[in-house]
Amino acid sequence: MAEKVRTLDQLRKIREQAKKKMDIREGEYDYRIVVPMGTSGIAAGAREVLKAFLDAIEEHDLHNVVVTQTGFMGSDPIQPVALVEDREGRKVMYCNLTAEKAKEIIESHIIRGETVKEYVVSTPLE
Amino acid sequence: MIYRTHVLICEGTACVASGSPKVRAAFEEEIKRRGLEAEVKVVKRGCGGTCDLGPVVVIYPDMLLYARVQPEDVPFLVEEHLLKGRPVERMLLHEVTGQVVRSMMEYSFFAKQHKIVLENAGKIDPESIDEYIAENGYEALAKVLMEMTPEQVIEEVTKSGLRGRGGAGFPTGLKWGFTRKAPGNEKYIICNADEGDPGAFMDRSVMEGDPHRVLEGMAIAAYAIGNVKKGYIYIRAEYPIAIERLEIAMSQAREYGLLGENILDTGFDFDVEIRIGAGAFVCGEETALLKSVEGGRGEPRPKPPFPANKGVWGKPTNINNVETYANIPPIIRNGGDWYASMGTEKSKGTKVFSLTGKVNNIGLVEVPMGTTVGEMVFDIGGGIPKGKKFKAIQSGGPSGGCIPAPYLDTPIDYESLKELGAIMGSGGMIVLDEDTCMVNIAKFFLEFCVEESCGQCVPCRVGLKQMLNILERITNGEGKIEDLDTLDTLGHLIINTSLCALGGTAPNPVLSTMRYFRDEYIAHIVDKKCPAGVCAALFYAPCQNACPAGVDPARYVALVAENKIPEAYYVHMENNPFPAACSRVCPAFCEKKCNREKFDEAVAIREIKRIFADWALKDAGPWGPPEDPKKEKVAIIGAGPAGLACAFYLTRLGYLPTVFEALPVAGGMMRVGIPDYRLPPQVLDREIERIVEAGVDLKLNHKVDSLQNLFDEGYKAVFVGVGAHTSYKLNVPGEDLPGVYHGIDFLRDVNLGKEVEIGNKVVVVGGGNTAIDAARTALRLGAEEVSIIYRRTKNDMPAFPEEIEEALEEGVKINFLITPVKVLGESEVTGVECVRMETRGFDRGGRRRPVAVEGSNFAIEADTLIPCIGQGLTKGLDAQEELFNKWGFVQVDDRTMKTSIPGVFSGGDAVNPATVVEAVAHGRLAAMEIDKYFGYEGKIPFPEREVVGTTYDEEAYLVTLPRAKPCMLPLEDRKSFVEVNEGLSLDQAVEEAKRCLHCDRPPEEIEEEEELEKVEAVN
Repeated sequence: MAEKVRTLDQLRKIREQAKKKMDIREGEYDYRIVVPMGTSGIAAGAREVLKAFLDAIEEHDLHNVVVTQTGFMGSDPIQPVALVEDREGRKVMYCNLTAEKAKEIIESHIIRGETVKEYVVSTPLE
Repeated sequence: MIYRTHVLICEGTACVASGSPKVRAAFEEEIKRRGLEAEVKVVKRGCGGTCDLGPVVVIYPDMLLYARVQPEDVPFLVEEHLLKGRPVERMLLHEVTGQVVRSMMEYSFFAKQHKIVLENAGKIDPESIDEYIAENGYEALAKVLMEMTPEQVIEEVTKSGLRGRGGAGFPTGLKWGFTRKAPGNEKYIICNADEGDPGAFMDRSVMEGDPHRVLEGMAIAAYAIGNVKKGYIYIRAEYPIAIERLEIAMSQAREYGLLGENILDTGFDFDVEIRIGAGAFVCGEETALLKSVEGGRGEPRPKPPFPANKGVWGKPTNINNVETYANIPPIIRNGGDWYASMGTEKSKGTKVFSLTGKVNNIGLVEVPMGTTVGEMVFDIGGGIPKGKKFKAIQSGGPSGGCIPAPYLDTPIDYESLKELGAIMGSGGMIVLDEDTCMVNIAKFFLEFCVEESCGQCVPCRVGLKQMLNILERITNGEGKIEDLDTLDTLGHLIINTSLCALGGTAPNPVLSTMRYFRDEYIAHIVDKKCPAGVCAALFYAPCQNACPAGVDPARYVALVAENKIPEAYYVHMENNPFPAACSRVCPAFCEKKCNREKFDEAVAIREIKRIFADWALKDAGPWGPPEDPKKEKVAIIGAGPAGLACAFYLTRLGYLPTVFEALPVAGGMMRVGIPDYRLPPQVLDREIERIVEAGVDLKLNHKVDSLQNLFDEGYKAVFVGVGAHTSYKLNVPGEDLPGVYHGIDFLRDVNLGKEVEIGNKVVVVGGGNTAIDAARTALRLGAEEVSIIYRRTKNDMPAFPEEIEEALEEGVKINFLITPVKVLGESEVTGVECVRMETRGFDRGGRRRPVAVEGSNFAIEADTLIPCIGQGLTKGLDAQEELFNKWGFVQVDDRTMKTSIPGVFSGGDAVNPATVVEAVAHGRLAAMEIDKYFGYEGKIPFPEREVVGTTYDEEAYLVTLPRAKPCMLPLEDRKSFVEVNEGLSLDQAVEEAKRCLHCDRPPEEIEEEEELEKVEAVN
């Protein structure tokens, strides 16, 4: 039996909690992280990287970022990679990622807006 | 837990019916198998509106919509999209144009929609109260209970301008006020969810997709009205999913203390109970509904007393429709002014429609009031499938009326629709195309009401049945012209005297179709013809019914299938003496109604015709003149298809007519208007020779200037078939410069073998067949660049689609939405100044209206300009002013082809520029009428129609078989005027003919019955 809602605050609390889980259906976000998951990407550990991104997002309670994936992007030796794209379409490609690096990218790039320069391959549209 | 991807699977009724629960199970299993359950969440959602595409799967955050997903597609989808991140293009949603939709938000179906009632439907899990709360659910209820007085709530609703969405459009705030003011301390509210109109499913979708919204709206109403502790949702048993979701929602809301006692700890008590109805249409009427809620028989009673004073259990009751309640929470959250800022002066906010029928995008649509009918059908609905013509929409189901093509610009609001004789109703919008018979559709709705009438009052019970009897007679070809008056009188009588709205609106579909489609009623009654080819009692086969000349493909196709080529030819000659010409240039009305098209593709009737037509040119014996000719002399002016058809059938009726032709060649427009690569002159000449052999005296180079002279010469009747050989002018400066060649003149000069000078850059103006013919002819004359400019869009071009395609193949460029304003050049044409057009709304003809964009002028280089924008009559018979109408064409009675002068008949382009086969129909009809004019029977002696029997294995052809395609001249050879279409071989044609479904055969049961009767008779 769920607890009865008695105040506006309680209602809003339910709302905030439920909202977090539905963010990705809004179609509105500041950053989009694309992880290529071709065979070579998965072999190199792309799935762990993707999970690390998701964990970090949850840990920091972020609502302005979605993680999606794509197929092989043609960059075998530097896998796993991830492309971070902002609302203006500026793209930054990170390479040779690990779960730790993914967390760092969330904390630096997404939260503070600072590119983690040492992992960057290129910034094609900068 | 945060998931990177949500897979939303629609479980509205339509998607469930197409198997979405199995798809969801497959996704869940496959995601687990792939170890993705920590990353990907599967969500059951409600109806998102694209009901025709089910089962629908939407993947977030990409917002990609997969249409018609089957369980067996799921492993591949999961692997490709969810695991490897590669969207599966072939299964993604496509626009009507074939373009892939890369984000649901970009889909044209959603572009003009504005979702308020449906803001959550399709986005949230309808069985999760948390997801509803996440989208600001129950905030409005909290706001009214904690911050507003009931009066303030009613004021806000009144300010919003919200009107009852069930159809009648009564202002909601006013209604609530009445119930609030009604004396009594025990009141009720009811949600009318008895959605019964055929083709309407808005309410169901709201309840299935966002049930909490309805509950919240009801709770707010209960608070505003006061003294309400209980609400009922009256819903029909055939909505099990909606009932289940509502019940889940109610129990969740009770758990959260949002329904029941002491809601939100404010001391407000309110609960909801579901009352299930048996699905009687009359129970949508509020007084009948009240009785049914109480457990009685659903019969209406007179009003007053209104439910606001005396409702359920005799207590004051507020009844609103599902959609009305669903509008309340956002109105409270955002304010009445916000809501009133949308819509038209008297109809505010948005309205949900279920768009169904002959339209590409079928589904649930929410648009601001004031959106036009045209935007609804063509922008949101994506137009009519298979390029068919829009005919009308039926708005408001069996209580509503139709809105035909000339009113596409009508804004959809309560008043505008009423003015046209339709109603908003609950929002069912059925699109009808050219294949819909308006008499039949009226009969369908009336039949529905006759069945649903409760039988309590006489006008509805007896009157509707009488109307139906009349309609049945009409659709069976037994109608009388006075039936129309009877229907009208009876209809109004029923409207004025019925007890409730069922009878009070039931005659509307009949009255409104009679208002806009009277011609169609008259065609059924007088001509015994169903123009749409629906009322089967009126024709043998749809192909034959569709032919303007009544040619009978059902028989000749069956004969070709049996390899009986000469017999097939003779069938054709009963109605049309130009099989060879028509097999090359006819738009084939017959094929457009071919039933085979519903199975795979239409039978290639026109190509089959060519087989026996070309046989006859070589091998058929001559027809021979009548042996004992009638003595009346008949003159025919013009040797075009109308004149020669008239002449041929006059010979069959026993005359020896004389045809006068001004040009040195016979054939009219077939000869001088249609280029040789479509209709070779030797084919036409031979066909005309056949007609002349039948007893026609053909005088070429003989121009007739006066009808009187003919009568003076002893002719007793005259047929005027002079055609329309003068091009319309553009009426722009510079049109007289050398280098401007008007289309009809250009084609005539080329066809007559005159020396025609043409430049390198040719611009043709227009979108009809003449424009296409002129462009392709210009290419063949050696022009380097030929472009067509047309002021409308591609879909609006009157030219035959296959001609347009062939022109494009050959290298003609077509530029749309451009119109010329000035021909440029000093001594000769150097170019043409044009303006760009844009479309704004729709014109009376039902096409998008082109409007010039100011200041968009630009020049196109050209040395030859060929305007092809229409044609009129050539001067010559001007003395007989009384012959012509205000458009300059000959005025005739189209049932007899008689002009205003006794003994003078007319037809073909002189009456109305159209196709060869229509001209032939005119000529044949005129021949019979001329015979009658002389006091004879007017009956062409041909054998009685008999169904053609076949011997081949018909069942072997009841599998998907492609339509036979004729050989076409290779592109590189199309530099000359050699015929492009090379036709089918005999074997191909015979095989193709076997694809015929033989629609002209009587239904088998009837045959059996007849057999039985015969047996009984013998016994």
